[in-house]
Amino acid sequence: MNILAMLWSNLRRGVSTFRFPERPAVGEGYRGLVCFNSELCTGCAICRFRCTARAITFTSAKNEFTWSYDPGQCTFCGRCVEGCKAHALVQDGACPPVYLNIGELRHVYTMKRKVPPSKSATTIKIAALGPPEGGAE
Amino acid sequence: MNLTVALARMLIFPGLLFAVPAAWFFLWIERKATAMMQQRIGPPFMQPFFDFIKLLGKTTPARSGVSGLLMKAWPLIAVSAAAGAVGLLPVLPTSGGFQGDLILLLALMEVPSICIIAAGFSSRSIFAEIGSAREAVLTVSYNIVFLLAIVSIAAAQHTFRLEALAQLPSTPLRWLGVAAILVCLPAKLHINPFSLPNAEQEIYSGPMIEYAGPELALWELSHGLEWVAVTGLVATLAVPHLPAWWLDALLFIACSFGVVLLLSVLGAATARLAVDTTARFYWRCTLLFGVLAISSTLLMRLRS
Repeated sequence: MNILAMLWSNLRRGVSTFRFPERPAVGEGYRGLVCFNSELCTGCAICRFRCTARAITFTSAKNEFTWSYDPGQCTFCGRCVEGCKAHALVQDGACPPVYLNIGELRHVYTMKRKVPPSKSATTIKIAALGPPEGGAE
Repeated sequence: MNLTVALARMLIFPGLLFAVPAAWFFLWIERKATAMMQQRIGPPFMQPFFDFIKLLGKTTPARSGVSGLLMKAWPLIAVSAAAGAVGLLPVLPTSGGFQGDLILLLALMEVPSICIIAAGFSSRSIFAEIGSAREAVLTVSYNIVFLLAIVSIAAAQHTFRLEALAQLPSTPLRWLGVAAILVCLPAKLHINPFSLPNAEQEIYSGPMIEYAGPELALWELSHGLEWVAVTGLVATLAVPHLPAWWLDALLFIACSFGVVLLLSVLGAATARLAVDTTARFYWRCTLLFGVLAISSTLLMRLRS
């Protein structure tokens, strides 16, 4: 009889689902779509390496690279965001939008590869700073 | 009683034209009631109709040989039989037309089950064959009680004619028979806890697994028509005959609606039983119910 009491209480409490396309409110820390900041990206491709769902693809050429993200394949695990040292990836705090065509939300970015600072310039910079305090002699 | 009235009754009311929307409505009621008891919003009112139209627009997989032809034939036979069963229901007893009896109604109501069994074996899928075997076990199990209940009602009222049964006053024995029929309905309609032939999670809907497109739409329609036929049968036997035809029809609809709600609650409140437990339930527990109904009727007849 417990099950009947439960069903009755469910009926009294009302529905807790939504009619499409209404979306539920999400809490803090919700892992939504992965947003990409092309200004910060260094093209290290660690995100592609960490993406087990193969939602992120990365193709590299001599002077440029192409980064793409397909939310249709994404599991929203957030490993790409965790691994991005340049903080070029963040996860949206809202429900992913509804889409009707395959690949509608797919984003592709093709960017010029940033020139890394030259080795000699880095050495000079370190030398100018001097030896670290309290370091090994 | 003439041919025109008989045809109108079979094709328009309470036949096909009335039965098809009623079947969709009952399917919607069952889904919506279950959803609300599970705190879900449930499907919109037109969803069964949309499902039907969507399935009609899909392509059917190409099949060859005799089994392919049979697979196309089974859903058609099932829909025709279920619609025929609905057409026999004496919703408006004074309207005349073909006066079918209880035996014909039972025969027509059994045809969809037989078609499901045959369809599963025709499709040659292992899941479908398991589902068909389960359906066969279930049919044999509940039908003994179902038939005993029907025979007890007919014997108590001295008639097999549906219109006469609808007009005769109810007796305690008749109520016992109606209760026995109600026990069989979940198995007949494949509702929990007796949904083992079409177990979605275990055998992927069993006999329906190889069906798609318009053929699957016909199976869904046949299932909806079965709902109308069996709830209508209970309403025919349970609702007292009233002089005003509109009050009679209203009570008939209200009783059918009540039975659908009752079955929905049962489906939502229970989990699927295994095939051996189901067979044991009907052969050990419920059979007593049927035997009690028929023996009481026979004793009453011997005394009178």
